Amino acid sequence: MAEKKRKVLLVGWDSADWNMIDKLMANGLMPAMKKLVDNGVRGRIATLDPPLSPMLWTSMATGFRPYKHGILGFVEGDGAGGVRPISSYGRKVNAFWNIFTKEGLKSNIVGWWPSNPVESINGVMVSNLFQHEKAGGEVIALEDWKIPPGTIYPESYTERLAELRVHPQEITGNLIMPFVPKAVELNKKEDKRLPIIARFLAHSTSLHAVATELMETEEWDITAVYHDALDHFSHGFMKFHAPKMEGLDQEQFEFYKDVVNGAYVYHDMMLDRLLNMVDDDTTVIVVSDHGFHSDHLRPKFIPKVPSGPAVEHAPYGVFAIMGPGIKKGEQIYGARVLDLTPTLLSLFDLPIGKDMDGNPLMDIYDHPKEVKYIDSWENDERFGGELVIVEKADKATNAAALQQLIDLGYIDDIVAKNAGESDDALDKNLKNVLKENNYYLAKSYSNGGKYDECLELLLEIEDKDKPDFRFLIDIIDSACKTKRFKLAEEYIAYVRKNELMAERYLDVLEAQVSIGLNEPGKALMLLERAIEEFPDSLQVLIDLGKLLLSLSEFDKAESVYRECLKIDAKNVYAFHGIGISFLRRENYEVALEYLLLAVDGLFHFPIAHIHIGETLALMKDYENAIHAFEIVEAIAPVYKKTYRWLLDLHEILGNKERVEHYTNLVSKFHGGDYRIITGLEGDKLIQAIKKLKSSGVTVNANIDDIYDNNRNVSDKEWIEEIKEDLIYVPIGLIPSLIMQYSYRILYVNEACENTMDFINSKSKIRKKTLDHELLEGLKKQENRTRVWMNQQPNLDILYLNDFDDLTSKLFVSFIGGSNLA
Amino acid sequence: MLNGKPFEVPPGGSLGVLTLGSIGVRAWKKAKADWDKKNKDGGEKA
Repeated sequence: MAEKKRKVLLVGWDSADWNMIDKLMANGLMPAMKKLVDNGVRGRIATLDPPLSPMLWTSMATGFRPYKHGILGFVEGDGAGGVRPISSYGRKVNAFWNIFTKEGLKSNIVGWWPSNPVESINGVMVSNLFQHEKAGGEVIALEDWKIPPGTIYPESYTERLAELRVHPQEITGNLIMPFVPKAVELNKKEDKRLPIIARFLAHSTSLHAVATELMETEEWDITAVYHDALDHFSHGFMKFHAPKMEGLDQEQFEFYKDVVNGAYVYHDMMLDRLLNMVDDDTTVIVVSDHGFHSDHLRPKFIPKVPSGPAVEHAPYGVFAIMGPGIKKGEQIYGARVLDLTPTLLSLFDLPIGKDMDGNPLMDIYDHPKEVKYIDSWENDERFGGELVIVEKADKATNAAALQQLIDLGYIDDIVAKNAGESDDALDKNLKNVLKENNYYLAKSYSNGGKYDECLELLLEIEDKDKPDFRFLIDIIDSACKTKRFKLAEEYIAYVRKNELMAERYLDVLEAQVSIGLNEPGKALMLLERAIEEFPDSLQVLIDLGKLLLSLSEFDKAESVYRECLKIDAKNVYAFHGIGISFLRRENYEVALEYLLLAVDGLFHFPIAHIHIGETLALMKDYENAIHAFEIVEAIAPVYKKTYRWLLDLHEILGNKERVEHYTNLVSKFHGGDYRIITGLEGDKLIQAIKKLKSSGVTVNANIDDIYDNNRNVSDKEWIEEIKEDLIYVPIGLIPSLIMQYSYRILYVNEACENTMDFINSKSKIRKKTLDHELLEGLKKQENRTRVWMNQQPNLDILYLNDFDDLTSKLFVSFIGGSNLA
Repeated sequence: MLNGKPFEVPPGGSLGVLTLGSIGVRAWKKAKADWDKKNKDGGEKA
């Protein structure tokens, strides 16, 4: 019997959020979604920054980040000096429907944002402008409602599909009632919200009708339907959702508190219909591009800047999949919006482009599946569909779509008012649009770790005559990330001088700079000052906690992170911070508990996995430590320290083949890999070096007077000439190490007070030193070094508290002293 | 007809009918048109 052909039904719900869905499923109000979850796999899907839908849905349709796919923002230039809603003209890479067309697979694509004009694919395509019924701010009457050009492919389907559109004027009172049960009590003339509900309901119904029509009447391999209504309902009505937000009028709350729930239930009803239309051989996917805050994290106000409403978006959306060969009732972790297209390709056994930024989600499969790769789909010259040519831009349609974006608060009304005009104002308007899109491009660079490109672009578009605080914040941030601290300082001074931002907010930014410049005391003062003004700011608390961890103030750090959990009980960064605080206090069991909570909430959190690996290694659970580092290797191969850890751990377990593998990988790193011993001066450090030497480890230090060695650690030749296993570097010189090399640092933990006694005992012979000054100096020196170490990506640090640790397998492996007893 | 069975379509529509998709929208538009025609012809008001 021939194998049944795989079909995929892909349902996109913009902004869908598990917090909403889980509550409704628990109350039996989303049975279709529950069926999908119970019989398939679910997971959170990480969004990208900026979390703007046209950019995200294009990343989902292509597997590329925005700086590669070219769709930036909500509007674009129309090529004639004006602006128009973002279109498919700007997309630079293949979408999955183009790849499927090349492969002879048939697609129905409905409503994808952006997809106007449509493309001549193998199948049917209906664009995101299909359902719009406005011309500018005016509603087109039902009888005058035409399908704009470029909306449907094949064009011959226009008449049949047009009749499936539902106009908001057709939405009756009894259709609104489930959303607003007390609608009859509202003053219909004054209330502006009921027509909005009618509009969103009409839009989603129109798209659903087309999707079902095509599923019934067309042959297809994939049907993909995208709904923006949940996002629009949420932006319009989440503020009325229970529990009532502080300051909201009680009567308004009573009227509209059911709208968002109603919208989710309606989407579930549509999903139920779709599930009833497909057979068991169809794979069904429901996915969203980001989540939406529905609880105490709802913002109290929306910034009055373009795309301001995006602050309501939550960083994780929804991913659920059910079908043949897919696990049942399980969760997956680590999905990103970039992974959708690679996953679709894997479902059809098609190769994934190595140039794609996403990866296929292989954990969804109940049996291991082979993944094929090609260099790029962009080099495949087979026909994948081309844009339907629209000879004359339809101004009314453009204006309608722009108006919708204004209504949602995503763009300024000035943008749309000037659309279609041809004067200086229009030129200026276009420039503003392009500038805004360049800002999103810069954000996308930053999100992809391309901080240099981000900074370069921001410096180019930033205009001191018209300062935009968003640009300035990101300039300072990317200057810090690229270690251009002086530039960051210049911008902070400029912003302070011109009073462009709240002083305390600037303190937070300046603290970042101070950390980079190795001035932890100043950073601490700035953050503590900021926290007084923003006691509920998660970001400030997290920054403060991180700094306290660097300063080894573990109790204080834990307490700051616990404050974070009072604001956001599931904050993964707080879990991570508390985990580290316990790890450094050698309470490994509790550390592991918190670190696991962190990765449970955010699987794509490589540094937390590294800390889990480190904790497990210290607990001598080497097998599981390897597993933790292998996760890092898979999700973030850029962390070189992972390979060194894996090498050590396999060495401990005697896995010769793996040792060879990781030795080869580590040897490919540029520069050298040096092992350092450091710590505050004192008996403990001297004893550690003595013990190491007596165990056969060679150390580049004179035990009798290690402090008299003259060395210049920033001298490349000096370090390269050292042949010993371990190099002693005084604590104060650690920040001067040349960073082109990788280092493993054995840090001998010693209390400053002990060091002070040690030095004073020597000082009796030399000169008298005031205790409190010396103590402060030592603390300062240690803090600077610890903070600096915390900033470096290529340092592995093992803290030595106890001499017994010296004989542990992990320690022996760490310093590479195979001849150690 | 849905799966060989008739389904009720109120002229004012229902969310259940709309979520049937194309079949529901067509049936609703027809029910509305029939209702409008009946009202126009017979002068009856809903």
